Amino acid sequence: MTPPARAARLERIVGVVLRLGVGASTVCLGAGLTLSFVPGLSAQAAVLLHAGIVVLLVTPVARVVVSAGEYARQRDWLFVGLTLTVLLELLGGAVAALVFNRRL
Amino acid sequence: MPDVTPALALIIFGAGAVAGGLGALLGIGGGVFLVPFLNLGLNFPFTVAAAISLTTVIATSSSVSAGRTGQQLINMRLGMVLEVATAGGSLLGGVTAQMVAQSILQKLFGLVTAVVALIMLSRLNRRNVILDPSAQPGTLGGRYYEDESGATVTYRVKRMPIALAASFVAGNVSSLLGIGGGVIKVPVLNAWCGVPLRAAAATSAFMIGVTATAGAVIYYGRGQLVPLLAAAAVLGVQFGSWTGMHIGARASARWLKLLMAIVLFIVSVLMFVRGVR
Repeated sequence: MTPPARAARLERIVGVVLRLGVGASTVCLGAGLTLSFVPGLSAQAAVLLHAGIVVLLVTPVARVVVSAGEYARQRDWLFVGLTLTVLLELLGGAVAALVFNRRL
Repeated sequence: MPDVTPALALIIFGAGAVAGGLGALLGIGGGVFLVPFLNLGLNFPFTVAAAISLTTVIATSSSVSAGRTGQQLINMRLGMVLEVATAGGSLLGGVTAQMVAQSILQKLFGLVTAVVALIMLSRLNRRNVILDPSAQPGTLGGRYYEDESGATVTYRVKRMPIALAASFVAGNVSSLLGIGGGVIKVPVLNAWCGVPLRAAAATSAFMIGVTATAGAVIYYGRGQLVPLLAAAAVLGVQFGSWTGMHIGARASARWLKLLMAIVLFIVSVLMFVRGVR
């Protein structure tokens, strides 16, 4: 593939990941928000709300993961390295939260 | 924390819609409006306000970038390189936010909003930079088709160290203060690094999702993110920025920028005064 064709392919894949992530999290958050004001459904609402937040947070991470995969397929090792570094930094956030909560 | 009632959720939805709408019209994130509203207006702790705002930043980044893919406006290679710096800065900012007093964050917010207002005032008449179309973009540069001029814009990226430094600072400020940080990156990329304004804005909006996530994960893990309030804010911002983008295509933003620069100066002073007291 030519460089522009590779770039277009990556853009398409990233677009799909972002669209799915935003769609799924918006649905979960909207449903959770609505259910939280229905008496007796607060447990279900909490699950949906947390699911919506987690999907929202995972979407950019997923975008980085598929980019790393795509760069690996193209044997563009410099960019595989860069995207994996970003992934480590994102993981660092989760580790930092655990350290602050003294779970580590 | 106040009790979470339908009325409060509605207020936050409304605030998110206004912030998202203004953000879309001004080309900046809504965080600079949402954080002071939640912190000063509703008296939420600063970290709680920043956490809610960061989730809206992530949602906006993902939905705006999803809509833009296929236009080659987002420079993904440049974005991935600069993300190493923004995510690192953001991680550091998120950790720092857990350790410093609210008054320090408020003072910093006051300072940053004043700078944002000055940047906005200085760029009232800013137009896109269009370079020679025969130029080669190089490894990190880009090329995209611009509707208005009907021409293909090609650009090279210059002065990468400056772009990386600005991205690190933007990431740092982003998770410390709960704002996107595009307002720092975009002018730098545009003015010093040779990236046309539209490509700089699209690339920055693309990066902001990853940047904000590095910080938001810390707030979420610490239990400082109230899911119900974040949901109301995210939905509000989504609605507001969708509306803003549809109005924005028609409206001239010049007078709005001027008005908002004044609003931001007021926000800046209020935050600073609260931080000093």
